[in-house]
Amino acid sequence: MAAIASVPEVFTRKASGLVRVMSPYSAFVYNILTMGLIFPWTYLWAPGALPGGKLVWGILLAMLLEIPIALAYVWLSTALPRSGGDYVFQSRAFGGFWGFTLLMSGFVIWILQWVALSGWLLSYLGFAPLFLGLGATMSNPGLSSIGVWFTSSTGIIIVSILNALIGMLLLVSGFKNYVKVQYVMFYAILVAFGTMLIVLFTTPAEVFVERLNAFAVASGNAPNFYETALAATQAAGIDTNPPFSLLATLLVAPIAWTSLQWATYSAEQNGEIKDARSFKNQAFILVGSLIVTGILLALLAAAIEKAAGTEFLYVAGAGYWGGVEEAKIAGFWLWPNMLAVAMAASPLVVLLIGFGYIMNSHQIVNNCYIGVTRIMVAMSLDRLLPAWVSKVDERLHTPVNAHLIYFLFSIPVILVYNLWGEWYALTLGVTFACGYVFAASALAGAVFPYRAKDIYEASPGAKYKLGKVPWVTILGGLGAVFGFSMVASYLIFPQLGLVSTLAYTVVFGIIAVSAIWYFVAKSAQKRRGINVDYAFKEIPPE
Amino acid sequence: MPLLGKKADKKLTKLFFATDVHGSERTWRKFLNAGKFYSADVLVMGGDIIGKMAIPIIREGAGRYRATLQGTIHHIEGEDALKALQGRVGFLGFYSQVMDEEEYRALAADPSAVDRVFHDLARQRLSAWIQLAEERLSGTGIKAYVTGGNDDYADVLAVIQEAGAQSIIDCEGKMVQIDDDHTMISIGLSTPTPWKTPREVSEEELWVEIEKMAAQVPDPSKAIFNFHDPPNDSTLDRCPMLDWDADPPAPIVKAGQMVMHGAGSKSVRRAIETYSPMLSLHGHIHESAGIVKIGPTITVNPGSEYGEGILRGFLANLSHGQVGGYQLTSG
Repeated sequence: MAAIASVPEVFTRKASGLVRVMSPYSAFVYNILTMGLIFPWTYLWAPGALPGGKLVWGILLAMLLEIPIALAYVWLSTALPRSGGDYVFQSRAFGGFWGFTLLMSGFVIWILQWVALSGWLLSYLGFAPLFLGLGATMSNPGLSSIGVWFTSSTGIIIVSILNALIGMLLLVSGFKNYVKVQYVMFYAILVAFGTMLIVLFTTPAEVFVERLNAFAVASGNAPNFYETALAATQAAGIDTNPPFSLLATLLVAPIAWTSLQWATYSAEQNGEIKDARSFKNQAFILVGSLIVTGILLALLAAAIEKAAGTEFLYVAGAGYWGGVEEAKIAGFWLWPNMLAVAMAASPLVVLLIGFGYIMNSHQIVNNCYIGVTRIMVAMSLDRLLPAWVSKVDERLHTPVNAHLIYFLFSIPVILVYNLWGEWYALTLGVTFACGYVFAASALAGAVFPYRAKDIYEASPGAKYKLGKVPWVTILGGLGAVFGFSMVASYLIFPQLGLVSTLAYTVVFGIIAVSAIWYFVAKSAQKRRGINVDYAFKEIPPE
Repeated sequence: MPLLGKKADKKLTKLFFATDVHGSERTWRKFLNAGKFYSADVLVMGGDIIGKMAIPIIREGAGRYRATLQGTIHHIEGEDALKALQGRVGFLGFYSQVMDEEEYRALAADPSAVDRVFHDLARQRLSAWIQLAEERLSGTGIKAYVTGGNDDYADVLAVIQEAGAQSIIDCEGKMVQIDDDHTMISIGLSTPTPWKTPREVSEEELWVEIEKMAAQVPDPSKAIFNFHDPPNDSTLDRCPMLDWDADPPAPIVKAGQMVMHGAGSKSVRRAIETYSPMLSLHGHIHESAGIVKIGPTITVNPGSEYGEGILRGFLANLSHGQVGGYQLTSG
């Protein structure tokens, strides 16, 4: 039997203590930012690829499926509050080989694509609509032309490389500098998101087409844009009023998971979070941020449907997924932010939304560096990556080499992503790859009470059991089933993009390269008298 | 150290270093087993071995007890449950003492009595640890060198010397020969902290102590410095800057952000830069684990995760004044 102590009956003495930098609220904000609630995959990809799927339900389903995964992270984070993170969780539960192979392939290598995506989002969803919107609302074709440049390959590549460079310089200059900027990003995104919701929810359905057409004309399209786009969509054989499909609705979830799977990313920084051992704090950070973001994503989907109607979703999806050129404005897909800009027709709204998207897109590249460079440093200290990767600059106090390497490796990925058409179909490969990392961590949570019994027994979550079975085993098991199911769906259903020979080659090739790297590094270190397994192998106390 | 390096020298001494176990039964037991587990010849404990908290287990009558652990009051019944609770308390690095309600109230009202309890419990635990070390290490050829840290009471550390143990060697304030080639000097003192811990000295006093010790070293290039305090501004000493006037010390926040700084010792840094030992071992700042090079010296703080029962450590192969392969461990 246990109760919370009001006045602790303990004796303490004068001894030095541990102080952490990041408040639980900061970690909560960090997770929401990481989930990128304004990113548009779900709103265009899902209707285009999955006719008959219900957006709002699919988003809420993804949130529900992610909850047991996030809860497994709560247990793991409170059990290993100082050294936490997926690499540690998995290495402790499954051994160094799996920890390294899954994290090296799923995070370190695949997140390079997130660096490319961050730049693409910044250019295509941040700068382009900003200038296009300003051009249309201020009747300035020059600004519209600048907006169109940001949608070109050249524009996107330049913006992407600068985006990655600025993120690297910001983080190398010190984590505290990033934290200062993080709050600007957070509130900018909230303002942008709130503005979009207000505009879309307050736009009467009967004026939607009229305002969209007016915006299209101001952006250089011919009159009657919507009618033309609808006719072209239907001519392309796309049903704009399909019957409800349960399978399509279920498959919306893996796409929405692109955002929601990042609810647990703050675990990479457990060592810096205050009271990280507190169950309540971790639940607030991990599960709280997930639910808030899930609800907001669903709200935005509902707002779009309310303003534009279901038929419009299929027109917009046809432009994105079906390649129907008539369903674009100035060559630009009909993202939620474009709709809000078109409906409001106000330069102020354009600025508020544009700034939010710019901030969130740039924030993604910071997340890539923050999480991945920590993992790279840990792998280097474990002697699985070269020692210079973990070198910390004495003046800046940051792992400069790790950041620099990651920046340099991101450049070819940026070029491939924006210049090689076939690669574009692998966009959500990042969801697949990061998804197997998260699902594996949920599985690590399930086996943790048995694989690291003493550490688990000493953790605050050990008291929660269903009969004799630890709750983390049940939730982690469920999370792993849900997570791996969504991961597997990427390899089965062509609507999710990973069923081509190229996709299989890339996906399994990256895993194979990571596994081979582990064995080569292990063998090389053995020659120097180093056993890399010692990095996580528990010494028997008895 | 390149990833694809030379083959290891066969004539080497394998050294394992851990620090800041803060009374944790589990990590101490792991430390004693580390020699066998890692095939290490020499074990070094870098200080702060005494626990920070004592848990009164209050007798409520008829085999029932209550105790507050990690903010939660636990009510238990029976001797088995009592033993399990005491084990969990020790796992976390705390001490426990069974007492009546009245005894608890009297103790709680008398800070000097609480202080005496801490000293007694710490001496008892350290004595038990030394006995365990003798049982586990005698006849193995493995030597364990132990120094104190700034958090350790001098009278408690004296237990190591008084015990006259063969396997545990009190190395503080001494130059010891750890094998035919290599020597080690150890200092457990730290420069002042906002917690005003038992063994703090000024930078000047620490420098005098270091100079005194370094003078005994025949060849600094084949020496190990085992200093509890890490070198200043080395990245092994990063932590939030604290307000020393607050009780407990509170982080200083400027423009909404905690101010971070290097809290290590300038004297220790100067010593490494002046003498260039082959290896320099440190602890003190648990959250700042890492390996850096200061000049030619490999400088290490393995950090500490004693509260979770995990023994963070550092393993190195020493040969003819060179540090061959080395790695951080998390056992």
